[in-house]
Amino acid sequence: MKKRLLLLAVLVHTVTLVFAQTPTKFNIKGIAIDSGNAVMPFATVMLLQPKDSTLVNFGRTDENGAFEFKNVKKANYILKISFVGYIPFQIDVKPVDGAVNDLGQLKLKPIAKELMEVVVKTARAPLNIKGDTIEYNAASFKVPPGSSVEDLLRKLPGVQIDQDGNIKAQGQDVKKVTVDGKSFFGNDPKAATKNLPADAITKIQIFNDKSEQAKATGVDDGKKEKTVNLELKDDFKKGGFGKVTAALGTDERAELKGNYNRFDTKQQFSVLGLGNNINQTGISRDDFQDFRGSQANNWGDEADFGFSSGVRFFYDNDTEESISIPVGGRNFQGFSENYAGGANYNYDTKKTKFSSNYYYNQTQQLVSKKSERENFLSNNNSFKTDEDSYQNRISRNHRVSLRFEQQIDSLNTLVLIGNGRMGDGTTKFNSLQEIYRNGSTTKSNQTTINNFNEFNSTAIALIGLYRHKFKKKGRNFAASVTYNYNISDGEASQSSVNELFGAPVGSIPANINQINFTNSPRNLVKSSLLFVEPLSKKFFSETFYNFSLRRDAVDRNVQTTDGIRIDSLSNYYNNDFMFNRFGTNVRYNHKGVNISFGLAAQHFHFDGNFARSKNATDVQHISRDIFAWIPASSINIDLKNNRYLWADYTKEVSEPAIKDLQPIIDNSNTLYIRVGNPNLLPMSTHRAFVGYNMFNPGSFTNMFFNLNYGYNINQVIYNQTVDPVTLVTTAMPTNISGGQNLGSYLGFGFPLKKTKSTLNLNAGTNISKNLIYINNVLNTTRNNNYNFGFRLDLTPSDKFTFYANGNFGITNTKYSINTTQNQQIFNHTLGAEMNIALPAGIYFSSNLNYRISKNERFGFNQHIPILYASMYKILGKAKKAEIRLSGYDLLKKNIGINQYAYQNFVSTEQTQTLSRYFMLSFTYNMRGVSAKMRRQGWF
Amino acid sequence: MIVYERQEFWSKIIGQLTYLSNEEKDRVKQTWGKNDEGWKSKTKMYFNANESLLTNLEEASEYGWSSRTEDYYIYRNYEKEKKIELIEMLGKTYVLEDSLRAPNWKVLNQIKDVAGYICMKAVTEDTVKHQKITAWFTGDIPVSGGPERFYGLPGMILELEINDGDVVITASKVEFKKLEGKELALPKLKGKKIKDADYDTIIAKHIKDSIKSYRNPYWAIKY
Repeated sequence: MKKRLLLLAVLVHTVTLVFAQTPTKFNIKGIAIDSGNAVMPFATVMLLQPKDSTLVNFGRTDENGAFEFKNVKKANYILKISFVGYIPFQIDVKPVDGAVNDLGQLKLKPIAKELMEVVVKTARAPLNIKGDTIEYNAASFKVPPGSSVEDLLRKLPGVQIDQDGNIKAQGQDVKKVTVDGKSFFGNDPKAATKNLPADAITKIQIFNDKSEQAKATGVDDGKKEKTVNLELKDDFKKGGFGKVTAALGTDERAELKGNYNRFDTKQQFSVLGLGNNINQTGISRDDFQDFRGSQANNWGDEADFGFSSGVRFFYDNDTEESISIPVGGRNFQGFSENYAGGANYNYDTKKTKFSSNYYYNQTQQLVSKKSERENFLSNNNSFKTDEDSYQNRISRNHRVSLRFEQQIDSLNTLVLIGNGRMGDGTTKFNSLQEIYRNGSTTKSNQTTINNFNEFNSTAIALIGLYRHKFKKKGRNFAASVTYNYNISDGEASQSSVNELFGAPVGSIPANINQINFTNSPRNLVKSSLLFVEPLSKKFFSETFYNFSLRRDAVDRNVQTTDGIRIDSLSNYYNNDFMFNRFGTNVRYNHKGVNISFGLAAQHFHFDGNFARSKNATDVQHISRDIFAWIPASSINIDLKNNRYLWADYTKEVSEPAIKDLQPIIDNSNTLYIRVGNPNLLPMSTHRAFVGYNMFNPGSFTNMFFNLNYGYNINQVIYNQTVDPVTLVTTAMPTNISGGQNLGSYLGFGFPLKKTKSTLNLNAGTNISKNLIYINNVLNTTRNNNYNFGFRLDLTPSDKFTFYANGNFGITNTKYSINTTQNQQIFNHTLGAEMNIALPAGIYFSSNLNYRISKNERFGFNQHIPILYASMYKILGKAKKAEIRLSGYDLLKKNIGINQYAYQNFVSTEQTQTLSRYFMLSFTYNMRGVSAKMRRQGWF
Repeated sequence: MIVYERQEFWSKIIGQLTYLSNEEKDRVKQTWGKNDEGWKSKTKMYFNANESLLTNLEEASEYGWSSRTEDYYIYRNYEKEKKIELIEMLGKTYVLEDSLRAPNWKVLNQIKDVAGYICMKAVTEDTVKHQKITAWFTGDIPVSGGPERFYGLPGMILELEINDGDVVITASKVEFKKLEGKELALPKLKGKKIKDADYDTIIAKHIKDSIKSYRNPYWAIKY
């Protein structure tokens, strides 16, 4: 640019020769000197437009402090000279008659040394120069938390505060302190400076204001009063929001929910509550995020280091509730009534983060179900079970969670987490099962079950995490300790009556009339260590050690209704599981290529004691040691232009579930008896995965592809033996190898017309092979699934949007022992969503979900269209309220239908569920209601 | 050589996207706002009296994961008033060759210290992205360069702020050493050839399309 000036000068020079007569150009020159009259070489000289300070030209002074702008256009300019340590010099330049405007010597004043040192160098605050006065932002001065503005003022150069708190600035008394330009604190300037916390202030301005008298009279008396103005921080990080929705509907449907959140720079408090009988069991992901605020995502809380795969614990009780707050309602079939409420408090600073919350929820679920199940035996025999059942389950849970994170210093971090849950509930279950043989219409057996179960459970999970970064970049250490305690206590009364038609009397399974008392405590202690070492710039090694010790005990007492203990069904056991794993991983990372290979040695030790009762002497003992090598590898490559390629291979080893290991008989269902197998081996699975995806943000096109394969070794399957007379099935877990599955997926999305319509296509296959023994004959079930889907988004304007999607799936199931049962299942879904904005803030939105299930072998052909429509109006100028009329399942077709085809059976279930109802709802949202015309998300 | 550190404050940026509801903005603010220390990335620039070349600085992350940094080469020759830029964006690589055309800077009366240099303040506006640009430049380094695509002041720009702190680019290291010659060499220029005007059109079109589709345009281009 400097050169340009010269080039320009040469150019203009020739031009001036031609147009010598018209003096539209002139030169500006001068000499920069300092206060000691010494010349200032190499100072920056700028020529600005007076209107808005736009830079017109610039240059530097030479060794003699001289500068010259040649042949600049005749106009008014501001000339500015700057040099380190000096107040930038500024002068107005007017065109002169001659060809040169010589400004002569221009004197630069030095910036006070104190200001330079304290403000600019130490506090790094910008200096604002207005003529001869200099202002600066006081927020750059660090004072300890809790300091008052007075403490802050003391730090500022040129400000003195005496013992009484009187303020002097640049030697003059400060008469007035204003906040945001207003005098809040009367006439006492100390009131503000002593009482306001320093961290509420963003800026301090010290300036000369006109005297009060001058302001009142409008006559400037020339007196200036020193004034301090404090600018409060803008409330960027402070706020509160909340919303409440109340709804009433037909069929006694109702919903009430609300939440409120308040937050400032350090703290956040939120409450929420909900109650409904429309199957909304949990809070939504968004509501959860609002509730937990800054603590909604804590990525670093994972306490298990090393390969993510490799070990998996099975817990016995599938219905056990999670220890954390349940998010997102599951697709529940039946009727439910739900209540929940909670409060959350977070305290966050850069170094310390604390979070606590309490959450209560209560659910009552009514499930009324009819099911039909056909079991295939060898020799083309089969039997069909019809079941009519009713379940009423009530559960209540209190949850408390605490989290504390402390950044001890820049290298050390400590995280402590405590979660607890206390719950209780009851389950009532009634069922009538009827069995028909080989397609006959005459009933062969019948069982009536009446069970009632009461339970309570407590769970505690404590985690401590410590992370340390070494001075050497890339070297890291982490350690974790976890303690889990769970206990559940249950009392179940079971009654079932068996009837067998046309069979010998003696072979009828016994009726059951008993009470089970079960107490099962579980303790788990585990610890993990991780050490990351950079081997070179591109190679890292990761070494980890995992240890866990788990002790479970179950005390099950079975009594008759008269209180007499039934020894054959009672049992007591305790197990100790010890797990040790040591492994290492070498990673190569460079320019978007990440490759890792690792190997771990893994050892299980299992000790189990089984007896009929806690005090029994004839204790059976099982002890097992299992050792395995676990390899893991992965490749991730970032290719150019948003394309990614990755592949990985892992081996997972999972220990058998305790329920499956213990040699006891579970007869809670008299027609389906489970027996444990103490000889079970752990199951391992080899998994491989390959994927590719690309996204072009310019053309809005994307493509995904992936392929996955799994092979099971010692898979735990339930071998079934069916008694030919009573048709009672006895299932026993056994290991088998050879089950496998292969899946693939291809997706492609592109705009048909940019911003107006997008089409996404996808196709996939899933091929699996499952093995099972039925009456000691090996049966292989092959499932071949093919699916295809599309999604079309039409968003022509802000007033109308339309989305359509379809998924088509075919599953072919083939059985090796009973080929006549081979079948083909079709599952198709079609969906459409439409949103229309009508005038006067009224919106219409509707949604259709059409499901088709077809299975020709059973003559099953079901079409279920679920239609939802709603009309809503956004009220008020601030758009904070909404009134809405909605209709759910307008066609009254919601019948919970599920179809399964598995290793040796097919089943169809139909659950009575929430169907057509209308609802009128009112929502008030403090932050405004917005019409949902568009779907969320970027893709 | 100057190393610039760029910090992007997404909670602040998202807070300004007009098409998101207040509730969503508050959610982002509440979840991330408090601890938003800015998404950091670095660039480095080699320069002599007449030329400068700025590229993305690749650094192995602390936990040893490397993601590929996009091609980004900004070359300027102040003497010949020429610039060559190799920019990968929107799924394509562009080669921009044009003459230097500095924006209209307004020089203001504020000074502050950046990386040990006393800098003066200058402001301008990005007319394509409609952003307020604040630059701090120092007369002590008499090269009209700066970070990313900014230049044209009477000294090196050491700090740059977009929209009052949405993005802050600060020189974290300023070092003077003899260049060996290779530092200012551009890689092979492969990509779609464009001019300044084309670049502005591409950016403007992408922003327009994205806003129409209710997307955040700045996932795919630099803010």
